[in-house]
Amino acid sequence: MRDDLLLVLVLVFVPFSLMSIGGGSAIIAGVQHETVAVRGWLSSQEFIEFFAISRAAPGPGTMLATLIGWKVAGWAGAAIATLALFVPSSLLTFAVVRAGRAHRGARWGRILHEGLAPVGIGLVLAGVITLFRLSGGGLLSGGIALLAAAVFLLRPQIPALAVLAAGGLAWMALDRV
Amino acid sequence: MAAPALPAASALAPAPSLAALFLTCLKIGLFSFGGGLSGWLHREFVLRRRWIDDEDFAGSLAVAQILPGANVVNLVIALGDELRGAPGAALAALGFLVGPFFAVLALAGVYDRISASPALEAITQGVTFAAIGLLLTVCVHGARRIARAPSGLLVLGAVAVAVGLLRWPLVPVALVAIPAGVGLAWARNRHA
Repeated sequence: MRDDLLLVLVLVFVPFSLMSIGGGSAIIAGVQHETVAVRGWLSSQEFIEFFAISRAAPGPGTMLATLIGWKVAGWAGAAIATLALFVPSSLLTFAVVRAGRAHRGARWGRILHEGLAPVGIGLVLAGVITLFRLSGGGLLSGGIALLAAAVFLLRPQIPALAVLAAGGLAWMALDRV
Repeated sequence: MAAPALPAASALAPAPSLAALFLTCLKIGLFSFGGGLSGWLHREFVLRRRWIDDEDFAGSLAVAQILPGANVVNLVIALGDELRGAPGAALAALGFLVGPFFAVLALAGVYDRISASPALEAITQGVTFAAIGLLLTVCVHGARRIARAPSGLLVLGAVAVAVGLLRWPLVPVALVAIPAGVGLAWARNRHA
């Protein structure tokens, strides 16, 4: 029974690994449907809590799968679900990166790299805009983000964790004023 | 190996040991509250340790975001492979994920007790905004380098507007932007 569950966890999360194009947020809706409605592993309320927890914890947001695996089959479930979600996409990435690197020495390989750079940075900037919108950003939150960016750029010797903590405390102190 | 000569300011440090790579990724995985993980990676790998140069980082970032999988995990794999080959990629990814694995389970264990705390929720919110600031620094560094060729800035801006403001889906935009970006880079380098 337990072995069956672990196998099902693999079967559920491996396809999501390869579907998560553009990052983990692309599969949230699909994972919710599959684990709540189809499998009945957890309630909608639990899913929302797990989502909130995975956002509050450090690391990538897709650690949501770890929590679902835990709920289904304890430690083994947590490990299996995590591996099922990260290993397939990681192997694909490794293969693509390798294939690209083989040509780095060539002139067109360098041109490829130079051409990719603005797309990569443009996507990060798009991510900044999206995150800001999703978090209901206003004047204060924008101010914190800009101030933090300035500190990161101008005072790189200050530990990043301290800057993040200062942002948290600033929001707590000023949001209620 | 045959990388073009870079300005002295961006001279790279020697590639790290596997242990140093693992520990750096472990630290980032454990401390990266509020998101902004590409920002953490850029800060540690490019700015502080000088293991990777800005352009390599930005190129890997593009590939990492287009392929399926968590962007930052893909990025960690690309950086790990660049520095120490397959073992580097595997250890970097492992180091990066092992901390969050236990952290997320630990947080779930105490969630009932702390979820009612408005102070904690406010702090989490503020941390997220500061982490957005960390991501912004990646854009500033990247744009500064790309600005040497204004046509690159055009691509950067177009991608940011299309995906961020107009909310067009990422993959089709990237499928147009990548050939455009590479084509412009090719035109720039034709006379080089």
